[in-house]
Amino acid sequence: MNRDFRIFFYVAILTLSLIWIYFSRIPVEATSESGKMAPHTGFLAPEISLLDTHGNEIKLTELRGRPVIVNFWATWCPPCRAEMPAMQRVEMDYADEEVIILAVNSTNQDSLPAVTQFIDEFGISFPVVLDTQGIAANTYQVSSLPTTFFIERDGMISDVVIGGPMAEALLKSRIDRMLKRTP
Amino acid sequence: MFPTIQVGPLNLQAPGFIIIIALWVGLNLAEKFAKRRSYPTDKLYNLVFISLLTGILGARLFFILGNLNSFTGNINNIFSLNPGLLDPFGGLVAAMLAAVIYGQRNKLHFWETLDVLTPLFAVMMIGIGLSHLASGNAFGTVTSMPWGVNLWGAKRHPSQVYEMIASFVTLTLIWHDLSKVKFPGLVFLKFSMITLIWIILIEGFRGDGQAVLAGIRSGQIGAFVILAIVFFTHEKRLSKGETIGKGDVKNG
Repeated sequence: MNRDFRIFFYVAILTLSLIWIYFSRIPVEATSESGKMAPHTGFLAPEISLLDTHGNEIKLTELRGRPVIVNFWATWCPPCRAEMPAMQRVEMDYADEEVIILAVNSTNQDSLPAVTQFIDEFGISFPVVLDTQGIAANTYQVSSLPTTFFIERDGMISDVVIGGPMAEALLKSRIDRMLKRTP
Repeated sequence: MFPTIQVGPLNLQAPGFIIIIALWVGLNLAEKFAKRRSYPTDKLYNLVFISLLTGILGARLFFILGNLNSFTGNINNIFSLNPGLLDPFGGLVAAMLAAVIYGQRNKLHFWETLDVLTPLFAVMMIGIGLSHLASGNAFGTVTSMPWGVNLWGAKRHPSQVYEMIASFVTLTLIWHDLSKVKFPGLVFLKFSMITLIWIILIEGFRGDGQAVLAGIRSGQIGAFVILAIVFFTHEKRLSKGETIGKGDVKNG
């Protein structure tokens, strides 16, 4: 391949690239701009509507306007147990910022007495809702416990952490990021 | 999508597991190629190991520096195994710095080293595509094409599969060059050119792209700029080789 042909090749590829870059601009319907709900970063968080341990209904959409951390867990799951004290400390540290932690217990794989005992044992003050049919876990495509979704004030999922235990620093860094994005 | 893999009692994070396997396969291929080119394999392994270790330490350090408040009262979290406490950009900078310092101290030929590492880079690109498929990240735009896949509530381009196919084609294309190298740097530069062209092309099918202006994707702009630099470098290397002979280029 001689030099002239190479130069022609480079220019042709760069020109074609520019044309493709222009024609493949981001379409409006690409992600959450069209209001699509999906359990993934960049989409609106799907609705969760479950009863808490006191029998009160809690709806995720009613928490809009506040950063929400949705944590799927079970009492028999060691990493879930390990990260709960950090979550409780974070709940107290960020009480002024109106950050909500919503613990979704996979009650279809757990038992109510074990859940209430767990809440007392760890002194949990944030809401714990009971996913008795596994509907919320199914909607959020939870494949492993714990799984945690970080949801911004506008309902957008900003991060998903699969597995645990999460370090307190990880929780705080994600919350700080959410608070900075949507003050 | 398969974010976790169940192996007996262990629930492995599939994307991370895939990247480790790709690293192992790629390193084995790079070792074979290094032997063929009489490149010291012990130094190759040291280079990769030191870069990886420094990269991880650098990623954690950058993360801590950027999130000092999060570690206040949690000093022991500095040693946490959570991959979410890493800064990828910081890790990349630290790994590259470590590789350059190690290379200079051990008098490793810059272009020769990049050539030897190219099979590793090529396999890692396949691994990244597969890890995207596992996690559901780097998903495609909505499509009506018959090969579209249902993901995140819509029928989408299987952009992760495109990534894997493109990376496999790239490895196949450079495989032939690995056995008949004209002079150092050409294998790496050819790999870079093909990969960057794929990135510009496939990025156009991604539904999670970030726009810089009027919908123009930042990933494509970045790849375009690097591609122009690679073309320029490739031409310079070739011109130098054609002017002063292959042997001189190999030694300098």
